[in-house]
Formats: sequence, structure tokens, C-alpha cells
Amino acid sequence: MTKSRIRRILAITLCAAAAVLMIVSGVNMPKKGGPAGQSILEDLRLRAVLSATGSSVVESYVDIAKKEAQQRVKNAGGGMSEIREAVEKAEEEVRARYSNSEVDITGIDTAELTAATEAYAKALKTYDELDSAARAIYIEAHYAEAEAALEAKHQQMLDAGMEIPENDTVEVDMSGFVPTAEMVQAQAEADQAYLAVGAAIQKIYPVLDEESIGTLKTTVKDVVYQVGDTFDTQYDRCVEQSGAKESFAGYLIRHAADILYTAIALVVLAVLLLFNEWLVDKLGIPRVIIGLFFILLCFMTLWCGLSLPSLMSNTIVRTGMNAVMVLAMVPGIQCGISLNLGLPIGLVAGLIGGLLTIELGVPGWGGFALALAVGSVLAAVCGYLYALLLNKLKGEEMSVTTYVGFSVVSLMCIAWLVLPFRSLKLRWPLGTGLRNTIGLDSTNFRHILDDFLSIDIGGFTVPTGLLLFVALCCLIVWLFSRSKTGVAMIAVGNNARFAEAAGLNVNKMRIIGTVLSTVLGAVGILVYSQSYGFMQLYTAPRQMGFIAASAILIGGASTSRCRISHVIIGTFLFQGVLTLGMPVANVLVPGSTISETLRILISNGIILYALTKSGGASRA
Amino acid sequence: MLKKPELKNIEARAILRDNAVTIMFVALCVICLAFSGQTVPYVMYELFGRMSRNAFIVLALILPIVAGMGINFAITIGAMAAQISALWTMEWGVSGLPGFLAAMLMTVPIAAFFGYLIGKLMNKMKGQEMIGGLILGYFANGLYQLLFLFIFGNLIPLNAPGLVIKGSTGVANTIDLSTDRGFKYALDNIWKLPFDKALYVVCAAIVLIAVVMLLLKKANKKSVIVAVAGSVAAVLLYQIPAVANLLSMVNVPMFTFIVIGLLCLFNTTLMKTRLGQQFRAVGQNRTVANASGINVNRVRVIAIMISTVLAGWGQLIFVQNMGSFQTYGAHEQVGLYAGAAILVGGASIRKANNSQALLGCILFHLLFILAPSAGKNLFGDAAIGEYFRVFISYGVIAMALVMHAWKGIQGKRRKKNEEKPAEAQA
Repeated sequence: MTKSRIRRILAITLCAAAAVLMIVSGVNMPKKGGPAGQSILEDLRLRAVLSATGSSVVESYVDIAKKEAQQRVKNAGGGMSEIREAVEKAEEEVRARYSNSEVDITGIDTAELTAATEAYAKALKTYDELDSAARAIYIEAHYAEAEAALEAKHQQMLDAGMEIPENDTVEVDMSGFVPTAEMVQAQAEADQAYLAVGAAIQKIYPVLDEESIGTLKTTVKDVVYQVGDTFDTQYDRCVEQSGAKESFAGYLIRHAADILYTAIALVVLAVLLLFNEWLVDKLGIPRVIIGLFFILLCFMTLWCGLSLPSLMSNTIVRTGMNAVMVLAMVPGIQCGISLNLGLPIGLVAGLIGGLLTIELGVPGWGGFALALAVGSVLAAVCGYLYALLLNKLKGEEMSVTTYVGFSVVSLMCIAWLVLPFRSLKLRWPLGTGLRNTIGLDSTNFRHILDDFLSIDIGGFTVPTGLLLFVALCCLIVWLFSRSKTGVAMIAVGNNARFAEAAGLNVNKMRIIGTVLSTVLGAVGILVYSQSYGFMQLYTAPRQMGFIAASAILIGGASTSRCRISHVIIGTFLFQGVLTLGMPVANVLVPGSTISETLRILISNGIILYALTKSGGASRA
Repeated sequence: MLKKPELKNIEARAILRDNAVTIMFVALCVICLAFSGQTVPYVMYELFGRMSRNAFIVLALILPIVAGMGINFAITIGAMAAQISALWTMEWGVSGLPGFLAAMLMTVPIAAFFGYLIGKLMNKMKGQEMIGGLILGYFANGLYQLLFLFIFGNLIPLNAPGLVIKGSTGVANTIDLSTDRGFKYALDNIWKLPFDKALYVVCAAIVLIAVVMLLLKKANKKSVIVAVAGSVAAVLLYQIPAVANLLSMVNVPMFTFIVIGLLCLFNTTLMKTRLGQQFRAVGQNRTVANASGINVNRVRVIAIMISTVLAGWGQLIFVQNMGSFQTYGAHEQVGLYAGAAILVGGASIRKANNSQALLGCILFHLLFILAPSAGKNLFGDAAIGEYFRVFISYGVIAMALVMHAWKGIQGKRRKKNEEKPAEAQA
């Protein structure tokens, strides 16, 4: 049998398995809301309640047995040590008798308890709905107040010279919240319902007295109802609480969605199996691996029960905020200086532009435009000088640009310490120099692109302004590459000697490309900062050149050839893997920094791969 | 024909140009010394300490440079191998000198294996070895984190106290070698002498060796006389109290310096062997070397392997002197600082020798000692000095690369210009 045939058979098997799974899932999915699902849930809930109460029943039995034993020995005229011995023995015996945790409900009439539990669950739900509605109204009424308080607090922190925490959100103080009359009534109804439950439990376990029923209330409540309950959460909770064995039917219903995802994953796998040679051929191994990894992460988020839409929305935002910086690689590659790892030069220029806006206190769009203008002009000047340097070093750009970029970043570290900015938003009030991270707020250009015309579709926020801006930048670069100068620049990048022979000014074209790349870097860091909400100074820009370079390489570019589509695809894949990777990694290994490790591996791995492909593999 | 004074003038200018970085650095050190307010005895004390722990790893860079692969920034990976070994000797509780030797021994296969892989990869990116090595170092750092965060201490349990902190994943952030399981000062404390005794011992050894060489007729009279005279002069000079005072705080870890000396000897003797000749041939011109039957790829892999193992040992020497190391950060800057140091000493990315490495190490670390306090005195902020020395490290490397690339292009242009008249004549 040939290899391709095995592959085809495998693919067909996978598809068949997927089809079976899909049918299973399709049959079971509607049962969640239907009578079959409800009856399973009822049964489980009952077992859970009994199991939760069961442990206190055992305690009661133990108590009784202990007392009996004590009395017996006393009557027989035994001493203290004998009494203690007998009591311990009795306790052991009782515990051994009831150690089987699973509740046997065959011999018990459960109809009453079932009905009571259901009623209790309903009452709790009604109360919860009323409660959350009332709270929402309260929060809305007091939101502005809380926001003002937070801003005042931040201002105080600024004055005291502290860093503003990056994820501080407005929190309304709920201490003044008073339950409404409706809520009180619902509460009373729920309590009433619990009494019924208690009566039913007492019928099953006559040994329980009123007091133990009272102490059991919170346990039973937690089992019966929790905020935001769905079929899945109730199922998981009851199974865990009751320690009962899951029935196969129940398992299928509970995991119907997961089964569906698995089926889709199998289909994807089959497709990849069929087309893998074509894919590897077209995209190269690392891109296939990263693409596959991304798809795997998508399924992992579904399996882990994370919200894929909101993560995708994050991915889109992060793609947008990084895309312009990645776009900055394009003119560099086109004009023949290969990956512009000296991008920090542009980034620093952009940061200075941003700082100037805050220093002058220019708000909103005007401020952002000013930052862009200043950053671009500075970047153009620095880029020109940088290009002159690069023109002297044709063929050795990569290593030189890296270290020139590093040097500029560390030189700027000194500059951040001594630059004469005065605004307290920028400076440490005590000590010298600018802050490490400068928080943007509504008076500057925080989220100015992100929030422009943004649309919210059920947890999926589209940052329209950001995407439009990125599209505009891409369009400009694309149009430029179609212009006469752009075509000449690409010709120089493809073959400098040939271009020189054709009468093109090689040095000039390289200068144009480098300046353009540096300016895009300046614009890129501003777009990044406004979306991130912070400007990062000091050593933060050092690695950004590498991140941008690896993104465009992931998208399919090489060190000498690239397209705009590479920018978009690459940024999306790279940021997607990072955005999805973090929560998934946190589910798998809680509290780990594996996502950061992942970034290091992916971004440097792809650059290494590109370097090995850029020639020089000859024997000598 | 040029007249003699003119010739001298041009020579002087060439010397100035070729050693611009070194000269600039000497000037910088003098300026920093003037403004730092540090006393010379303290600076000397710090300098000897820093030399003893850093010189070895700088010397490890020489071979790849000779073999034409530029500065081997992938020595960070050698350092990682050393840290893996150090961790496991701690885990096994082999302490003191045996622990140090065990770590050295264990570093060899690990670093050699890594070096083999690095060499293989670098053979695929000829001409881009330096940037490749740098990024490979970053990449390996990711794998290293994976190893230390998720494999050691989790999949492979570690039992020694202090290696794993309860409640956090992976190996602890700092590994302390000063406990009874570690090997702090294992090498330094074998034989430690105050400076005066060390000087006498060294001078006596030099005189002894010179005389023996003379008797065995392996050295000519002139060099022996120079050596003996130099030693005597050094001893005499030390008798001046002012000079002796400057070095009063210095305590010399003799054995560490002997090890460094042995590495210098290894470098020079290796260059005289057939393999050394092959390194040099490959470094000068790969095509010619290939044509003359040298397996270029193999030679390059060997150079990187030796360099990686030596870097691992260098890191172990560093770590035993420091007494502890940052598990996730100790290796990160190794390549940068060592690379900058060797360039400061006057090496280029095509030529390097022992004395350049040692001189560079002295100058570079002198600046490291002085820059923060000078920055504080000049600008009122120690952080400026800190950033300044980082800037200098990167800047030196950038400058060396620029100068090298420039020279290469000018050389090509000159050749072209020379060819043109020749063609015209033909």
C-alpha cells in the first residue's frame, strides 16, 4: 500500500468517526433542556442532597451509639477506661457501617423530597434574579460616583509618586445596598420551601433533629442552586457532591458540546492529513506547526470551557495594535535591508512624540495626531541617518541593526532619566527621570482608535477604528509599492546589481525604504500604546523589533520577500497563539508563566528558521 | 618610496585606527576613575575578584572567532549547561571541591551536545552566525525556562532543601551555593594568597621556568633575561610602599588564575596543532579551505563545541565565586558582556588572542566597577551609570560590527580599484 493511500484511508476513518460523534452529539444536545436531561438532573440532585445530609446523619448515629455504649458499660458497673474503650469501639462500628459514601435510594420513597427540592430550587432562582436585577440598578445609579472616586484615588497616587496598577477597574461600593420588598418576599418564600425540604429529609432520616436540619441549610442551598447555573454546572456539582457514578446517558448529555468540538477537530485533522504535503510545500513546516497549534488552542479553549468569542475579540484587538509595527518590516524587506531589527529607533521616536503630547496636555484626536506627527518627523530624521549607516554596510545589516537598535534603546534609557519633561504624569515626583510605564487616560489618547465606532456583538467587541487605521496604513504601503518609486525600491531589494545596471539609484532607494520603515515603527508604537493604555519606556522597546520580525515571518515572508497579507496573517496567528495560549495554559498548569515561554520560543524559533533559509547552507 | 618619518606617521595612524576602541576605553576608564571617588585599593580588590570569575568565559570566545564564526553569542547555552549541572550536584548533595569537579565533569557532555547542535545550525546560516547565535541564545532560554519551570521539580522531583519553593511551580529563583550542599569558593579557596606573597610566588615560578627552559635549550638567552629582569623589577617595584599600598586589599585566588592560565596555554598550543591550523584556514577563507580538503562544516562544529564546553566551565567558575545564582537570569547577559569585553581588548570579529581577551576583560570590568559611582557623582544618579555601562556594552559590539563591515567593503572596493588599472594595462 502506498503512503498516500494509507493517508486517505486514515482520513476517511477519521471522517466516519467524526460523523458518528456528530450524530451522538446532535441527538444528545437538545436533551439538556428537555425532559430526559431534567430527569437525570433531578435524580442527581436528590442523590447530592442525600449525600450532603448523609454525613450529618452519620454523626447523629455516632452520637446515639456512643451514648448507648456509655450507658451500657455504666450499668454493667465498668470503670472510666472501660467506658472510653466501649465508646471508641461503638463509634468505629457505626462509622464502618456508614462508610459507604454512595447513597442507596432504592428502599426510600423519594417523591416528596424530589418535589420539595425542585420547589426550593425554583424559589432560590426567583430570589437570585430579583437580587441581581436590583443590584444592577443600584450599580448603575452609583457608577459615576465610583468612577470619580477611582479617578481621585489615581490622582492621589500620581501625586504620591506611585505607579497606577494596570488593571484597576471601577468598583461600586455595595455596602449601601438595601434589599427591595420583592426580594424580602422571595427570600421568605425560599425559606418556606426549605422547610418543606427539611421535613422531607427528616422523613427519610428520622434521626435528624430540627437543629441539624437548620445547620444543613447552606449545604443544601449550595447543592441545589448557584448563581448562573446551567445544565453543565449543576451536573458537575451534583456528581462531585454525591460521589455517585455517572450514567453513560448523563455523560453523553453533559459532554454533548465537547463531543461536537471533538468531531470538528477530527474533520480538521482529516483535511490536514489529506492536504498536508501541499500545505507544507506552500507554507513551510514552521508555519504549518504554528497554524496547527493555533487551531489546537481554539479547540482547547472550547474543551476547557473558556469563552472563545471574547478571546477571539482580544486576539483581534492585539492583532490591530501590533499590525502597524509588523507592517514596518515590509518596506525594510522590500528595499533590501532584510528584517529591520533596528526598529527600536522608530519606536523610541514615536514614544517621544507621545510623551510630548502628554507634556503639552493636548487632548483627544488632536493629541494623537500631534504624537503621530512629531514621532514621524523624528523617526524620519533618525531613519535617514540610520539608512546612511546601513548603506555603508550592505550585506551585513541584520547583526549590525540588532546591536544598533540595542544601543539606541540603552542610550535612550539614559535619556529618559535626563530629558526635561515636567508633567507629573510622566515624572517620578520623588527621584529623577520618567516613570517606567506611563498610564494613558481619557484626557490623552487612551483607546482613541479602539473605541472609535466600536461595535459590540454579544461579547465580541470589534475595535472598528483600530482596524480602519491599520487598513489605512496597509493601503498606503500597498499603494506606495505600486508607485514608480515603490517599484524601483522593490527592484533594488530584489537585485541591487541589476537595479544599478538599470540606472536606479540604489542608495537612495534603500534610504527611502529604511526611512519609511522607521516612520511606520513610530506610528506603530503609538497605535500599540493607545490600545494597551500604557506607554512603556526604558528597556521595553528592546525586544519589540524581534516580535514584529517574527510575526511577519510567521505570516509567510522570508528575509527578502514579503507581502501585506503576510503582515495580517502573521500578526493574527502570532497574537492569536499568545492570547489563547495564556488562559489555556493557566487551566492546564495554574499560575504558570508558560505563555511567556511560548512567546520566546515561537518568536525566536521562527527567526532562526528564516535565517537558515536565507542561504549560506553550502558546504564551504 | 616614502621617507622614514612619513612611514612612521602612517603606521602610528594605523595603530590608532585599529585600536580606537581600546584607546577610547582606556580614556573612559581614566575619566570614570577621576570622577568616581573610589580609592585605588578598592578598585584593585574588585578588579581582581572580577577578573578571577570572568576571564575564563571571555577566553572561551577566542576559538570561534579564529574559525571565522565571529563572536559566539551562543555561549549563553554553555552557561545554561553549567547551571543544569550545578543544580544536579546540589540535588545529589555533592558539595565543596568534589561538587565543583562533578559539575565540571557533567557540564562536558551536556555542553558538548548543545555545542554540536549549535554548530549544526550555524552551518546552515553561514555569514549570519552572530545574529543566529544571539537569537539561538534567546530561543534556548525559552527551552531552559520550560526545563526549569515545568520539568525539574515537577516531572522530575527535586528533594534537596531550597531548590524548590513550596507553592510555586518549578525551581526556585535563586540557587544558593553557600549551603553545605553547594560549592561556593570551591576553586578559589584551594590556594588563596595575599598579593605580596602571590607576586613572589609568580615571579619565582617565572624565573624557575625561564632557567629550566634555558637549560633544556628550548628558549634563547634574550627572552630568559627579559623574563628574569621583569620579575625582579616587579618584586622591586612592589617594595615601594606607595605601590604596595595600592594593592593592599587584594587577595589572589591562585588556583583560579592557574586555571585561567592553563586555558590560555590550551588556546595557544591548540593553534599550533593540525586542528588549530584548520581553524585558521577555515577562518580566513572557507572556499579555499574546502578546496584544500578540509571538512569546513566539521571544523566549525568542533570550534563551537569546544567554545560551549569552555563557556560552561567559565560559568561554573563565575558561579562558585559569586556563591549563588539567579536561576532564570544568570546566563542571559553572559554572551553580551563577554563579547563586549573581548572587543574592548582590541579583538575584532575575525581576529582574537589571549592577551586581547585578558586586556579587554580588565578594561571592561574596570568600567563596570567605576561607571555607577561616576554616574552618581556626575549626574546625581547611580542609575545613569548602570544604563551607561549597558549602553557601552551594546555600543562596543555595534561599533565593532560596523567597523568590521566597513573594512570588508572598503577592502573589496580597493581590490576593485586595483583590478581596474590592471585591466586597463592589459
